[in-house]
Amino acid sequence: MLATLAIASLVRHRTRTVLAILGVAVSAAMLLDMVMLSSGMRESFRGLLLSQGFQLRLSPRGTLPFDTEATIRGADSLLAVIRARPAVVAASPVLGGQLHFPTSGAAVTASALGVEPAVQGDYELVAGRQPTAPNEIVANDATFRAIGHSLGDTVRAAAGYDPQLRTYSGERTLRLVGRVRFIYLALDQRAVALPITTLRAMNGPASTDRISLAMVKLRPGADVERERAALHALLPQVTVTSTAQALEQVDQRLSYFRQLAVILGSVSLVVGFLLVTTLVTVSVNERIGEIAVMRAIGVRRWRIVGQILLESSALMLIAAPLGLALGLVTARWLDSILSRFPGLPERIDFFLFQPRAAWTALGLLVVSGILAGVYPSWRSASLPIAVTLRQEAVG
Amino acid sequence: MDRFAIATPSAGATSDAVSRINASAFGFQAHRSADVAVETSKTFAVVSRFHRAIGTITIVASAIFLLCIMLLKVDERRRDVAALRLIGCSERTIVGSVVLEAAAIAVLGSLFGVVVGGTASFLVNRHYQAVYRTPLRFSIVTGDIVVLAVALALVLGLVAGWLAARRLVRTPPLALFGR
Amino acid sequence: MTGKAIVEVRDLVREYRMGEERVPALRGVTFTVDQGEYAAIVGPSGCGKSTLLNLLGVIDRPTSGTVSIAGERVDQLDDARATEFRLRRIGFVFQRFYLLQALTARENVELPLAEAGMAGAERRARALELLDYVGLGRRERHRPSQLSGGEQQRVAIARALANRPALLLADEPTGELDARTGAEMIALFERLNRDGTTVVVVTHDEDLARAAKRVIHMRDGTIVDDVRVDPADRRVEPAGLAPEPHER
Repeated sequence: MLATLAIASLVRHRTRTVLAILGVAVSAAMLLDMVMLSSGMRESFRGLLLSQGFQLRLSPRGTLPFDTEATIRGADSLLAVIRARPAVVAASPVLGGQLHFPTSGAAVTASALGVEPAVQGDYELVAGRQPTAPNEIVANDATFRAIGHSLGDTVRAAAGYDPQLRTYSGERTLRLVGRVRFIYLALDQRAVALPITTLRAMNGPASTDRISLAMVKLRPGADVERERAALHALLPQVTVTSTAQALEQVDQRLSYFRQLAVILGSVSLVVGFLLVTTLVTVSVNERIGEIAVMRAIGVRRWRIVGQILLESSALMLIAAPLGLALGLVTARWLDSILSRFPGLPERIDFFLFQPRAAWTALGLLVVSGILAGVYPSWRSASLPIAVTLRQEAVG
Repeated sequence: MDRFAIATPSAGATSDAVSRINASAFGFQAHRSADVAVETSKTFAVVSRFHRAIGTITIVASAIFLLCIMLLKVDERRRDVAALRLIGCSERTIVGSVVLEAAAIAVLGSLFGVVVGGTASFLVNRHYQAVYRTPLRFSIVTGDIVVLAVALALVLGLVAGWLAARRLVRTPPLALFGR
Repeated sequence: MTGKAIVEVRDLVREYRMGEERVPALRGVTFTVDQGEYAAIVGPSGCGKSTLLNLLGVIDRPTSGTVSIAGERVDQLDDARATEFRLRRIGFVFQRFYLLQALTARENVELPLAEAGMAGAERRARALELLDYVGLGRRERHRPSQLSGGEQQRVAIARALANRPALLLADEPTGELDARTGAEMIALFERLNRDGTTVVVVTHDEDLARAAKRVIHMRDGTIVDDVRVDPADRRVEPAGLAPEPHER
């Protein structure tokens, strides 16, 4: 009966109900977007780091992977120590550098990763095959476009370039055997990968037995922190970073977005709450006479409150899914803007939908909206009946 | 020496200098400062676009909230409106008074919002200047931003008030009394 | 009338505070109403008759004095018990009908039945029975805005009778109705009383007062006259005038 009355009241004031639903839906959408933003980058980055299964990263002491041009000496012995650990499944060395591809115009420069193709975790093969022979190389689409070559072609590449004399050093003829997508690089960043021994040879003696980074994959169930601490103790010349630590550093650098998300999310929650409070207050004020009559004919106070709360619940429960849909659409739009950050890996999303967080946020909005109706409805149901009826009659 | 900067007397001289240096000097590439600024500002450009998008969403949301609140507020006054109609006030007078009230609320609200926004801007700058140890200002509230905010609020308030008032004056007065 | 008192009021006082002043609406009223009686309370505006009705209806509390309805003291009930009492023992009809606009005629009648815990089908049947009783069986799906004043008041009466109250109270039930509809309403009240309902009405309507079997005159918060009449006699004075001494 009271449900009938609640729905009938909402239907009677259609315009108001529709606007209120829209208003709450917009609040819900903004809240959802901010929840997605607050953890999206972090979770997306975490997913990226773990996508190839490597839980630890070793970089020159005091640096983060590829933060500087510093390299690690004694790479072979370092890798031997790592691979000797029972918990280690694989260790992937990476040497960073640049290769220059002379063309008819200016030379095309691309980032170069020297890797062990069998254990590498830096790229995914899209076409062709891994570079198994010393003179083989793989490249991404941006590089293929820039150098104007196709899969299977041979190219001249040089590791060194003297800008004064405009001459190249460490030149080789390499064969393009694979088209790849680099996991940690931006889509438009030119990059190639080749056997680490080849890149070292092209770089000259300065790169002998050196790497920029080693990635370590552990057995399932291994204690990541324990292995991190052990390697840190065994190898004082490196910094060992776990995925968790890397995420902490990302959090610090992107704290601005988290703070923005918290502020805007809180504002959305407060605005949604205020909107429903205002709506219920006005709706109840209009019906004070009706409420007094209901009390006069014997309807209990808590039932009247319950009926009004049913109305606000219906509003919130219709608005929440609408807000969810709207939030997902606006999140895609906002993500498309932020994904244009220079140098951002292609797979990083700023807005990531996590069901648990999303439902929690929407649930919070729905509950706060429902509770927003408690005080005004209780107040109106507690007014003295006779006085209220007289006032309503006079009014 | 890794790099050096050159000051030129005019834009034309800049272009000329760039061409000559690139054609003749060994190992040096000349770039216009403006081009370098654009390249290094790409990050800020993305953040700027993001903020504009958030601002757009906020404006749309505010418009809906304002319309909803105005409708409720004007509906609350239905009996007053009915009484005015019964004593002979014209629709124009009534709509005008409601719209004026809506405009006043919108302007006062937006001025309050400007104060809040200005305070928030100050706090944001203080915070991030300390975090990033930079004199850069992250948020600037300029005169034209204030004017835009107040003007937008006024327009939204006027439209919302007019729509809400029109609904009321088209309802027969006795119906507004609930008869 | 059975002679058994349904309403017992003793030394009832109700004062209102208006700023610093205390305004007495009732100054010590004492009377009883027997089961099956049909009483009209008449008097000039401001004499306290509606205040008295509100106290009988347990929607207001007296400043002092006692009120008993169907043997139960009701003047100091807490809110929950007062609400329960109103639901089950009192039927109230208002001058302005006060139907819920969002509900149909039948749903308005069902409301107190639902509140009393009656199940859906039984409730619907009872509501239709009551609407039939008041002559609105075919208007059950109409909303108040689709009903005339007289029809709305009939629905309000049906609602008031929903839980078989011990006492039916009506505050100016013909106040918003034209003469013809008012006459229909008077006939309905007479029928209700003939069928055993104890009725107390507050009214300015001479015809309605004349139809009652007892007329209680009030002035300045007190009862100045209390006349039991045979309706055939038509000895009731117009509302607001005390009877001439020789007629008492």
